[in-house]
Amino acid sequence: MYYRETGQIVRSYVKDRSMVPLREDRWIMAVFLAFMFLVVPFIGNDYWFSAILIPMMVLSIASLGLNIASGYTGQLSLGSAGFMSFGAFTAYNFLLRVEWMNIWLAFLAAGIVAGLMGIVFGLPSLRIKGFYLLVSTLCAQFFHEWLFNAYPWFLNYASSGVVHLPYFHYRFLPFQDQIFDMLGLAKEYNAYVWRYLITLIVTVLLALAAKNMVRSSTGRNWMAVRDMDIAAKVIGIPVGKTKLNAFFVSCFYCGVAGAMYSYCYIGNLDFMIYDLRRSFLVMFMIILGGLGSILGSFLGAIFVYGWPIFVTRFGDAVFGGGYLDTAFVENNSKIVVGTIIVVLLIYQPLGFAGLWNSVKHRLRIWPFRT
Amino acid sequence: MANGANGKVPHMVIEGIDLSFGGAKAITDISFTVYKGEICAVIGPNGAGKSSMLNVINGVYTPQQGTITYEGKKFAKMKSHSAAVMGIGRTFQNIALFSGMTTVENIMTGRNLMMKSTFIENALGVGRSRREELEHREAVEEIIEFLGLQSIRKDHVSSLSYGLQKRVELGRALAAEPKMLLLDEPIAGMNLDEKLDMACFIQEINRNRGTTIVLIEHDMGVVMDISDHVVVMDYGKKIGDGTPNEIKNNKDVIDAYLGVSHDN
Amino acid sequence: MEILASLVTAFADLFSLFGLEVFVGGMLSGIMYSLVAIGFVLVYKSSGVFNFAQGTMLLFAALTFVSLTERQVNFWVAFAITCVVMVIIGLIIERTVMRPLANQDLLSLFMATVGVNYFLEGLAQGTWDSAVHGVELGIPTDPVFVSEVIPWLDILVSKFDGFAAAVALGMVVGLYLFFQYTRTGLSLRAVSDDHMASQAVGIPLAKIWAIVWAVTGIICFIAGLIWADRLSVSFTLTWAVLKGLPVILIGGLTSIPGCLVGGLIIGASEKIGEIFFADVFGGQGIEHWWAYLTALVFILIRPTGIFGERDIERI
Repeated sequence: MYYRETGQIVRSYVKDRSMVPLREDRWIMAVFLAFMFLVVPFIGNDYWFSAILIPMMVLSIASLGLNIASGYTGQLSLGSAGFMSFGAFTAYNFLLRVEWMNIWLAFLAAGIVAGLMGIVFGLPSLRIKGFYLLVSTLCAQFFHEWLFNAYPWFLNYASSGVVHLPYFHYRFLPFQDQIFDMLGLAKEYNAYVWRYLITLIVTVLLALAAKNMVRSSTGRNWMAVRDMDIAAKVIGIPVGKTKLNAFFVSCFYCGVAGAMYSYCYIGNLDFMIYDLRRSFLVMFMIILGGLGSILGSFLGAIFVYGWPIFVTRFGDAVFGGGYLDTAFVENNSKIVVGTIIVVLLIYQPLGFAGLWNSVKHRLRIWPFRT
Repeated sequence: MANGANGKVPHMVIEGIDLSFGGAKAITDISFTVYKGEICAVIGPNGAGKSSMLNVINGVYTPQQGTITYEGKKFAKMKSHSAAVMGIGRTFQNIALFSGMTTVENIMTGRNLMMKSTFIENALGVGRSRREELEHREAVEEIIEFLGLQSIRKDHVSSLSYGLQKRVELGRALAAEPKMLLLDEPIAGMNLDEKLDMACFIQEINRNRGTTIVLIEHDMGVVMDISDHVVVMDYGKKIGDGTPNEIKNNKDVIDAYLGVSHDN
Repeated sequence: MEILASLVTAFADLFSLFGLEVFVGGMLSGIMYSLVAIGFVLVYKSSGVFNFAQGTMLLFAALTFVSLTERQVNFWVAFAITCVVMVIIGLIIERTVMRPLANQDLLSLFMATVGVNYFLEGLAQGTWDSAVHGVELGIPTDPVFVSEVIPWLDILVSKFDGFAAAVALGMVVGLYLFFQYTRTGLSLRAVSDDHMASQAVGIPLAKIWAIVWAVTGIICFIAGLIWADRLSVSFTLTWAVLKGLPVILIGGLTSIPGCLVGGLIIGASEKIGEIFFADVFGGQGIEHWWAYLTALVFILIRPTGIFGERDIERI
């Protein structure tokens, strides 16, 4: 069919471990990325940026983060929203208090601080396993809500408990003012198109980094710890260090996602947003998308975030505007997501990514069957 | 290093190991010496404490008493990690492969001790990380070729047959270039062809790489054929120690295996 | 230094009659968590599943009951209907989720219950509504002076907590007797030790699991009623229930009496933390994470919990 491996012979280890092994896939990827970078900024409108593209990418990064801890390393976590919150607050406070800070460095700092928190709350994993770890990560989840509530300094003493993020925090270019003047652009640095581009760049970079890690010794060590920790220890993999490393990287991703959630998606800083419900949503994303799969992290995030929007739009189109109330949509998506989780676990434990792989496999050998 | 009685160099000396779990005694006062470059078989009935002995050697269990002298260094207890660093490789009785990974990835994990790049370098995927990946991949491919695993290189190990899984596990241990290999029932549960293949691999590893091999096995034919030195355990105690021929004629061993009447 | 001083004062305050009152009150309020923990342990013990849907089952039961009584259904009729509904839900979960996933790894089973959790959440609020409902069961809530019974003990205790404690104790004793002295109980213990082996000796695994899930449904209902009276019925109920987690970790995952003890410890620690140590940390509301921290410290010292069994890792 479309996928023809015939003639694509791998002659070197470099080629053999290339990220996208099939020529056809490389084409699709290239066209897709070019479209996202070069076409979408011009044709997209604020609704698409703010309600669809940005949140989907941000949540994909969060679910990728959780997938590194849970899917790749087997460490359950219910605190991803908490680590997102640490990231968001770090980014805000750096941009608020450090004169020369720009948004890229702030995101980096967000990741590092969240990652360090991840190490702290991941420390119990050295001694306890499995479900026990839920307690530690739940602790992180509730700790951040308390911390940012008890110490208003983090919110710059905003009386309402919510900070609107000012446009001048969005410093993403050197000599940004001059460049914008020169090009005659309005200095709305927080316009959705800029936020979209920032999100896209960060997302692509982090996805690449994740892909690189999982196909290197780092990723193999994670998976070894997940699959059989005693055997891992016996062949010399430092199990404890690997777990903490996974927690750091996982929470780094969550932290950056949290900062982007505030800066690029909602434009506010508000710790109430990063509640346990969001942690659960991120967990659903990786279960649906596929544990231990980067593609799955994206597919899961897109589905879990996109389904309610789809139902609303569908309802509007079929029954006329405003027919379906939000409570219905919310309950509907809970039932649908819950059902799909169970069905996938029974029939396709690797989630959407597993489904996609089997479809791809069929395409490759079509017209023959497995 | 002191030479043994017959000019052999001791690789590891085990002295007075006692191991118990709660009240249950698994190993009582075991001592034996493994010489460099030999194939040493540990045999004995089920439940004799053979696997526990291997677990003590590479630090999975901590004995209550006794010492292990490895290459002249004395340890009261081994740590799994340092055992690996010192070059002790291991396979398990119930295959302990990383089931979510492919054959190549599993064997690559065996080389992790030699890979120095940090996760940041790996995330960037250039320079040292990339170089290491390719270098070690080449070494792993040699092992894959040696063990004849080419056709299943990219298969997930959970989909492989028992015999092949055992082979991949041997490959993973081999990838670390160990000086001593502990093999826990490497040929148990295989058909005749697979058994012969595996026995050949073990002998070849021993001869060509000079790796000392300690193995547990129930198949007496193979044990007597390939090993230089046999240690017999029963009920956690050592009841025999010598060359295969000596063991064949050892009365205690014959009693343990064939049974003995306790009337007289 | 300042923190140290306030820490010392906090500890000093602890050893007073007021401290004792807080301690006892805390222990009793911790029983509320025990009620939830019992359901967790029952399922874990018999099928090795960490049932995350526990909280939502609880919400579902409470919501069903409240919605029925609000529609002028007689109290006992509503009670009976809810019991039947919960048993059916338990059986459906067992039949459609647990059985197809039998012999899967624990992580899949856990995630399946997370899915069930989300499904039930949607179903509960979709069938009834997402509003907050008050419940009045007529459980007395006024405090009593312990000094009326024990003259030298001049502290206040809530009657409500006492009632909850009695219910929890009743459930624990009942389940204990059931496990120790009935044939089904014996089979349950066998199943919890080894699925395969019990199947091999002819224990009907499916039937046993069905019983467990049905019983769990009813336990959820009872716990849900008491929780609902305490808090009112709303979505937040499912979160309050998460505190059952630290409780079972402290008690040991498989021990039903452990639920009681764990509940007492978590409850006392939580109240003492909030009242005496919150200021040291610089803000009220630490009880939301304090319970988890307590459990964490506890299992770091004793990873199997108080009554848990230790596994020797065999390879």
